[in-house]
Amino acid sequence: MTCLLATTGLDITYGKVFACRDISIDVAEGEIVTLIGANGAGKSTTLRAIAGVIKPRSGVILFEGRDITALPSHERNRLGIALVPEGRHVFPHLTVRENLELGGFKYRKDHVRVRRLVEAMFATFTRLRERAGQKAGTLSGGEQQMLVLGRAMMSEPRLLCLDEPSLGLAPLVVRDIFRTIGSINAGGTSVLLVEQNARYALKTASRGYVLQTGSITASGPCALLRADIRVQEAYLGRRTSDGIINNVRPKSE
Amino acid sequence: MGRQRFWGRSLARSRKLRFLLAVVVIGLLPLAFTGSYWRTNLIVCAINVLLAIGLDFVLGYAGQLNLGQSAFFGIGAYASTLLVIKLGVPFWAAFALGTLGAGAAGALLSIFAVRLRGHYLAIASLGFAVITYQVLLNWISLTQGPLGIYAIAPPPTIALRWLGRIPFTDLANLFYLTAGLTLVVYVLLDRMLRSPIGETLTAIREDEISAASLGINASRWKVFAFAVSSAVAGAAGCFYAPFVGTLVPDAFFVTESFTILAMVIVGGTGTLIGPAVGAILLTLLPELLRSIGDLRLILYGASITLVVLFMPGGLMQAWRLLRSRLYLGAEVP
Amino acid sequence: MTGIVLQQGINGIVIGSLYVLVALGLTLIYGVLVQINFAHADIVTLGAFTAYAVTHFLGQSYFAGIAVALAVGAVLGWLVNATIFSPLRDRGNELLPLIATIGVSIMLQNAMLALLGPIPYAFETPYSNLVIRYGGLFLTVQNVLIVVVSSVSIALLYGFMKFTFLGKALRAVAQDRETAGLMGINPNHLIMLTFVIASALAGMGGALLGPVLVLTPFAGTSVIVKAFAIVIIGGFGNIEGTILAGLLVGLIESFTTQFLDPGLIDIVVFALLLLTLAVRPTGLVAEKREENV
Repeated sequence: MTCLLATTGLDITYGKVFACRDISIDVAEGEIVTLIGANGAGKSTTLRAIAGVIKPRSGVILFEGRDITALPSHERNRLGIALVPEGRHVFPHLTVRENLELGGFKYRKDHVRVRRLVEAMFATFTRLRERAGQKAGTLSGGEQQMLVLGRAMMSEPRLLCLDEPSLGLAPLVVRDIFRTIGSINAGGTSVLLVEQNARYALKTASRGYVLQTGSITASGPCALLRADIRVQEAYLGRRTSDGIINNVRPKSE
Repeated sequence: MGRQRFWGRSLARSRKLRFLLAVVVIGLLPLAFTGSYWRTNLIVCAINVLLAIGLDFVLGYAGQLNLGQSAFFGIGAYASTLLVIKLGVPFWAAFALGTLGAGAAGALLSIFAVRLRGHYLAIASLGFAVITYQVLLNWISLTQGPLGIYAIAPPPTIALRWLGRIPFTDLANLFYLTAGLTLVVYVLLDRMLRSPIGETLTAIREDEISAASLGINASRWKVFAFAVSSAVAGAAGCFYAPFVGTLVPDAFFVTESFTILAMVIVGGTGTLIGPAVGAILLTLLPELLRSIGDLRLILYGASITLVVLFMPGGLMQAWRLLRSRLYLGAEVP
Repeated sequence: MTGIVLQQGINGIVIGSLYVLVALGLTLIYGVLVQINFAHADIVTLGAFTAYAVTHFLGQSYFAGIAVALAVGAVLGWLVNATIFSPLRDRGNELLPLIATIGVSIMLQNAMLALLGPIPYAFETPYSNLVIRYGGLFLTVQNVLIVVVSSVSIALLYGFMKFTFLGKALRAVAQDRETAGLMGINPNHLIMLTFVIASALAGMGGALLGPVLVLTPFAGTSVIVKAFAIVIIGGFGNIEGTILAGLLVGLIESFTTQFLDPGLIDIVVFALLLLTLAVRPTGLVAEKREENV
């Protein structure tokens, strides 16, 4: 499998404070790779650096063999990386349809293509079609998540980055979202998934990295990670010796 | 105030010595400049320094852009003058009332806008400046409009036991009084800024949200800073009127606000000495270069833009850069 | 009586539509960049003088004057963004660009003063003296021209924002700049586009204003406070609100001139501005939008 995305030695800082140290991850074509970890571990920061929203202090990001470390986010979109940001970030005063259209901005000269893509999104996300003319800010959380997922897919990305898609959503909705992620991947798009809900993440992805306070502490195929006791205790909620089940809450570091 | 730079670090470190030096310089200036032309300029300088440090208190420390200084300047001038002329209030009482009035106006104005972004307060203060000018111009029954109020008496002669009688018809004495007031205000503001008040204001300027998490009520402090700034401008106005003898609304046109802003920006926001230097420079330079008289305002405008773009800390930043190059490894005060 | 009210109503709409043209530029820029170009009104003045020069010195038609003023405005907008707003982006105090443009405004005004003098210029167009009378109402063709050109421009702008990709991208950048970048939209290009459009509108507004206002280098200042007030009353970044507020201020101006005193106009508008800030800072007249307050 060819390597689609590879980061080497990424150091990301906010001012002088290190958020991430020496992050080296890779995503091969067709894979779903996940980054799991507690709040503040640096998962979102890593993803935002890969999408081009923040600049790493040092390190290299290669996409399809090409060094994109210095490229701004809008250029990375044109190359084929799409990010669904944390908190969804629909354009609240634009309609559902307009949100989708903007996702296909890179095809703006080709109106036919954009229209075709919008139709395809409506076919996949049928609830959105009902709300096509509604202002995106009035949608429910789950509908907004569908919308931003569709919006990201409008640019027909090679790599889809998802930042905490399950955040603030009801369990049934989360199940739908992950099912959709799976079918997107089946359609040929590679996925880099950042999730706090480790259970779903490790179930959906094939490979994973565990981040703790800005560094990678474990990685490997998800099957192995799922079986790892440290991961289980920290993120998956396993019965500890005193019989307390804690779900998706990591032990204090 | 320029001589101290050549006297080495030891002097620069001592604030008390600097203060004494300032007093000495102020004392000597009228002796060095005896013509009424230059003495007049010195008084204008002192008034401009006062206006500039007042503006910087709210701009450089609290981070709020007050474009209404011309209005508060005018309010102080007209209020105190009218109190003296129409109500017979003694000069110093009128001075106090004029200053307080300007401060109150500033507080009232800023209350509306401080919870919002800085742009709103800037625009509201600009609007206030325009309105005040219009009121001064059009409320003829009160202000005599464009004709102005003339024959305004200078401050009443002070009789002190050990100094004798000090008439303020003498420009030198008037300069001492004005410069003295400026110095007093400077010291007051300086003390305020070195106290926890200054830290609070700086905290608000740097990061309002974090300041709020520390329990700082940013809005209240912004109103406070704005009120102080307006009061200082009002005080300057109270002295401007008897100095100039005739009050016309045109002296308080909006352009005045921009002139003061130029002095603060060129001198360097965020310090008190910066605007003072800027005021002195921008007051005296056009006088020295008489030929550029008409271009004065264009230069003010250019200086604002260029300083903001290339040396936002103004002359003080340039000075610090120069000093760090001259004394490599010198301590930062 | 109704005749007077109607007449002033018409006058108010005429002057109001001019104010809308000027204020729209300000609100567009604020919407997309959360900044104010203080020199905006001076672009209006320059537009007026440009149109004057084109018609009186070059002998071209008034429409040519309007077109050139539009172009001059566009170039100035490009310049101001390239030299001031772009370099100062996200650097330090958010008020720095405003201060820098205050400097530009002072320079422009006084440069014009030095070149053109303080005496008002009589900007006559072939249309200022053509009068239409209807019933008891009085309208110059210039007035009609103003309303027509303003309305067409505003409609075009509205259409652009609502129906074209670029227009929607512009609205997206205004709502969420970072996310817009994720869509492949280059925010810098769109900010520049906004400046060009906004300043072109200002220049054109000046060309239309020239024959109607007192044309001196300070013509801009008389408009700018009202323009700011309109933008605040209508809501920063809110186009519908700006249009409504602009017409409202125009009507206030004409009715205050007729029934009270022209000197009171600024005071009434300013009072309205304070009211907005006190009661509803997101804008008095249109739907509530929580952005950037």
